[in-house]
Amino acid sequence: MSAIFPKWTNRLPLMLIVGGGLVATAVVGGTWYYATPKYTRVGYMPIQPVAFSHTIHAGQLGLDCRYCHSDVEKSWFSNIPSASTCMNCHNQVLKDDPRLELVRESAATGKPIPWVQIHKTPDYVYFNHSVHVNRGVSCVECHGRIDQMDEVMHAKPFSMSFCLDCHRDPAAKLRPLDKITDLGWTPNADPKVAAEKQRTDGQKLLHDWKVESLQNCSACHR
Amino acid sequence: MKTIPAASADQSTGRHYWRSLDQLAETPEFREYLHREFPEGASELTDPVTRRHFVKIMSASFALAGVGLGATGCRKPEEKVMPFGKATGEYVHGVPQYFATAMPTRVGAVPLIAKSNDGRPTKLEGNPLFPGGNGATDRFTQAAILNLYDPDRATTFHKAGAAVSRETALGALAELAKKFAATQGEGLALLGERKISPSRHRLHKLVSEKLPKAKWYLYEAIDSNIHTAAATQGFGKSVSPLFRFDAAKAILSLDCDFIGGEDDAHNSIRGFSSGRNAEKGMNRLYAVESLFTLTGVNADHRLRTAASSVINVAAAIAKELGVNIGSVSTAGVDAKWVTECAKDLKARGKEALVVAGLRQPLAVHLLAHAINAALGNVGTTVELREDNISRSIGGIADLAASLNKGEVDTLVLVGVNPVYDAPSDLNWAATQKKAKGGVVRLGYYAQDETGAVSDWHFPFAHFLESWGDALTTDGTYVPVQPLIAPLFGAITDLEFLARLGGLDVVDSLAIVRETFATLSKGGEAAWNRFLHDGFLPGSAAKPVSASLDSSALSRALAEVKAPATASASNLEVVLHRDYSLDDGRYANNGWLQEFPDPVTKITWDNVILVSRKTARDLNVKNGDIVTVTANGQSVDGAIWTQPGMADFSLGIALGYGRQKVGRVGQGVGFNAYPLRTTTSGFISTGATIKPTGKTHVIACTQDHWSMEGRPIVREANLDQYQKNHEFVETMDAAVPPVEQSLYPNPLEEAKKGALHQWGMAIDLSSCVGCGTCILACQSENNIPIVGKDQVKRGRELHWIRIDRYFSSKNRKFGLETYKPEEAQQFEEWIDDVQAVNQPMLCQHCESAPCESVCPVNATVHDHEGLNVMAYNRCVGTRYCSNNCPYKVRRFNYLDFNKRPLSALKGPLYPTPLLNRTKGEWDLLRWWKNPESGMREDDEWDLIKMVKNPDVTVRMRGVMEKCTYCTQRIEGAKIAQKVKAKDSGDVRVPDGTFTTACAQACPAGAIVFGDISDPNSRVSKLKANHRNYSVLEFLLTKPRTTYLARLRNPNPAMPDFTEAPWSSQEFDLKNHHGSHDASHDSHDHATDAKKGAQH
Repeated sequence: MSAIFPKWTNRLPLMLIVGGGLVATAVVGGTWYYATPKYTRVGYMPIQPVAFSHTIHAGQLGLDCRYCHSDVEKSWFSNIPSASTCMNCHNQVLKDDPRLELVRESAATGKPIPWVQIHKTPDYVYFNHSVHVNRGVSCVECHGRIDQMDEVMHAKPFSMSFCLDCHRDPAAKLRPLDKITDLGWTPNADPKVAAEKQRTDGQKLLHDWKVESLQNCSACHR
Repeated sequence: MKTIPAASADQSTGRHYWRSLDQLAETPEFREYLHREFPEGASELTDPVTRRHFVKIMSASFALAGVGLGATGCRKPEEKVMPFGKATGEYVHGVPQYFATAMPTRVGAVPLIAKSNDGRPTKLEGNPLFPGGNGATDRFTQAAILNLYDPDRATTFHKAGAAVSRETALGALAELAKKFAATQGEGLALLGERKISPSRHRLHKLVSEKLPKAKWYLYEAIDSNIHTAAATQGFGKSVSPLFRFDAAKAILSLDCDFIGGEDDAHNSIRGFSSGRNAEKGMNRLYAVESLFTLTGVNADHRLRTAASSVINVAAAIAKELGVNIGSVSTAGVDAKWVTECAKDLKARGKEALVVAGLRQPLAVHLLAHAINAALGNVGTTVELREDNISRSIGGIADLAASLNKGEVDTLVLVGVNPVYDAPSDLNWAATQKKAKGGVVRLGYYAQDETGAVSDWHFPFAHFLESWGDALTTDGTYVPVQPLIAPLFGAITDLEFLARLGGLDVVDSLAIVRETFATLSKGGEAAWNRFLHDGFLPGSAAKPVSASLDSSALSRALAEVKAPATASASNLEVVLHRDYSLDDGRYANNGWLQEFPDPVTKITWDNVILVSRKTARDLNVKNGDIVTVTANGQSVDGAIWTQPGMADFSLGIALGYGRQKVGRVGQGVGFNAYPLRTTTSGFISTGATIKPTGKTHVIACTQDHWSMEGRPIVREANLDQYQKNHEFVETMDAAVPPVEQSLYPNPLEEAKKGALHQWGMAIDLSSCVGCGTCILACQSENNIPIVGKDQVKRGRELHWIRIDRYFSSKNRKFGLETYKPEEAQQFEEWIDDVQAVNQPMLCQHCESAPCESVCPVNATVHDHEGLNVMAYNRCVGTRYCSNNCPYKVRRFNYLDFNKRPLSALKGPLYPTPLLNRTKGEWDLLRWWKNPESGMREDDEWDLIKMVKNPDVTVRMRGVMEKCTYCTQRIEGAKIAQKVKAKDSGDVRVPDGTFTTACAQACPAGAIVFGDISDPNSRVSKLKANHRNYSVLEFLLTKPRTTYLARLRNPNPAMPDFTEAPWSSQEFDLKNHHGSHDASHDSHDHATDAKKGAQH
């Protein structure tokens, strides 16, 4: 019989395997990098209807997080305050500033300001703020340095592994209850000492407070 | 699965693409959009130097630097989070609020605590503060919340079928009021339902004073008032009886289904179950009945007799106790049964109680009271209270007569539905038209039978959106407090009557406050306390003493006729109140339609119940449609053979066959009301049956009636238990001893770090099988209904079910050939049966067979012993359900939440690929709005409000099961930790919370708690001798265990047997001897028992 297939087909299987392998690696690698929450969520910084700067309010002025997000200690939901909270100061400070027009309108008419939601867990996750805030987990662990953000940005990936990293080792993140909203707090100025102190202090809190730090599915997925 | 919400319509922030920074900053389009977004500040913001602009530039540069980074729209659809418009003060979003209220019933009210999420009620519980109560409810209360969100309820005011505005309708009402004020009410007739409400009573008086010539009538399709009427006649003063089942040690029920079919069942069950305590002296229940009711299921001795012959049995017992029964015959009554029963009652004296059912004629009630008086128990088990609320005013027959005479100008109907349920001889639909001025109706459904033919229709407010008040059966004053403003502008009956009477005060709240002021002098503080607690302390009516008036009895007995012998051509029809639909008012409530009847386990239908012998003589079988003719009327219905029923008796439930009620109830079952006339009462004789040759498909959730000798439900007689406390162990199967497990159970390790270990104990001696737990679970856990077709396929979704088994003393076990379920109806053993109930829910096995077979690890075990279900991980393999020996896992074969209600009764759900709903292709509609199911908007918008926000709503393809109310467990743990803050006091104390089923159970049969705490209630129950696990030989080590049932039969009775019949079946099947302590010939591995009892 004469040669049915041309000679280059001898190398075809090898090329297919190598090529397929490269494509598969690219797809897996690409998905791993681009399609996971670490890439898709971190850095999300939508533009809000009102130019509220946390740097000024929480950073420079030193307002406690709970002044506005007042229900965070009582409920699973951390509330966005209504415009009347803003008007507590802004009925005197920057009274007629055009940037606050929407706020004044909201306080007067009761029409809520449509803030763009940044931090949201999927519907099948039941996260509870009050139990974290009351038990030694600071706002900064999940929300980052909000007091340094002009426009709030999604600082952490909020993937399940992100939650589990802390739940598997809470001693690395626990801090005294009066330091929860002190976002820049470290146990010690010197970073090496701080790491060591966090470990020992955190261990102590974990033990004294009987922190459960649940890892079973029913803790978050009901 | 996450639903990606539709992109927000507001495009003004975020999602923009720019080709260059200049384009972003300076284009006219940019300025344009600024103008649209911020009309006031637009000019300022186009100033390129503002910070805002700078930030936009910066983020735009980030956008160019990396794909998808920044505010460009590729990445995430924008969602808004809205704050409150005005500061709310104390209200915290995410934390439910609780308010005390009450559900009015025809005999009183059920005191409640209603849970409110986001300003709408989502769950009803009993009020634990209520004196004498246990914080439990009944079936109808648990399901009542769904009625509030019924998409078929009246949403507008109607005039002659067309919607009108509220102002127009109220204006017309004012006109009517003016018209009748002028004539002092001449020609005005009002027909209302029975409501035990001081405010309503006060309004009745006020309006009657203003309109003295108006005529008031009262009609209840299933009227419990016979109890009051009998007591009033029997004791010579206006009293109503309250039966203290908790004080009774021997109870004789004369066709009185106080556990199921009578009103106020939650109190009766509580009283009865509290007396079923082996340690404190058990009570004994004798039942005389024709149908096999829940009371018969729980009876220690049952005499099955035709309902029309109950009078003879009652007379025989009365005669034994020295009551003069006149000429009433006692022939044909089982003499020994009667004698021994009477002896037992006499021995108990004032701790005995005789009750007659609302079905029975007045004579039986008077006999019962005579017996009670003879036993001397008036004041202990029978308490009489003065009745000054229920008015003895005319009934519907009087009204019909008045209408026919042309005396009525305007007929006002308050909350009644007589076109559907009035006695058939009144021919109400035509009679109603004789009101010259028209019919004005206040009703919950605008398009029901009566609403559709009324001239004016006013929407009646649900009790959860009304201000009102009521008296419970013991006379305690309770508020009806609204949880939400009327959803559709509906009005209450108080407001309606006040407006009709032209009174000054028409606001319901003001009316109730005025009534309160007459009952309490405490002012504002007392009013607030009243609303907070949910009752007025000390307002319970004091029992009064009275003596029997025997002349009333002799008069009634003189009219008793001897019943003809029942036979296949002279059947008796027993119409009864349905366990789910009441008198038909809940026909559009999907939960109740799908609720399996506690005895027959039939859903979505009513049937004609017959005994085996009757079916054989009539040559009919299950599902055959026959025509029943009684009292000159005929109805068609399907036959169902009921074990334990009296011969030649037909049991037919009322409340079905409604042709006009709404999407859910339309056309379900068949209407038995035509068989009732004004004089026939509930029991008619002389009925005949004719087969039609057609058949009907009946959806029954439990087809198999027998335990087949397996020790699933274990029971013993009280004296057997007292002789051998460990009798449950003798029923354990032989299990090879477990030396050492090959694979260590990870739970053993995880337990060490856990704060609690959850477990549950269900006392089968207390459980009466009422099914309140099923509805409580459905309400708490967002369980959808599946429809009749799916129930027929065994796909009902109830997480907890009540298994009901019949057992007989005549069973033979041997090498039988397999018999299909349909053959059961012809077996002779079903003639005389005992029945047992067992609530079956996820057992949360420590060694769960379901966990090890899940290919995606969606079901795992947590460190506190719960078998946990992660819905988002489940792919729907159904291997777990396959492996579950208790079959408690339920699968969502279809997206039941998105199925339209009108499709629920149809055949299998059509594929969305080729289906059109209302002319539009489903796929196209889904494309336009992914959120839409096949449901119409009004259906979905309302029904989703009943969902509990703490529980996931499951989608198609996901397995679900009882979670021990994990949302309540987490909620309690979180609350405890929040309270503890920086202390270690994180253990939840026993009794802080409990599961929905345990909270709702009126008998207190279900107990849930921390088994690692030896002082918790559940630990103490599990340590009880009667504790056992079901299928313990499988070594699943379930956390849900049961306490064996005890019966307390009287050894002198003729139907006494040494052991309950299911135990006898067990002994027969397993060739055992007796259950005494000397029994030791089997190697019952104690390891199995140890493993089962944690």
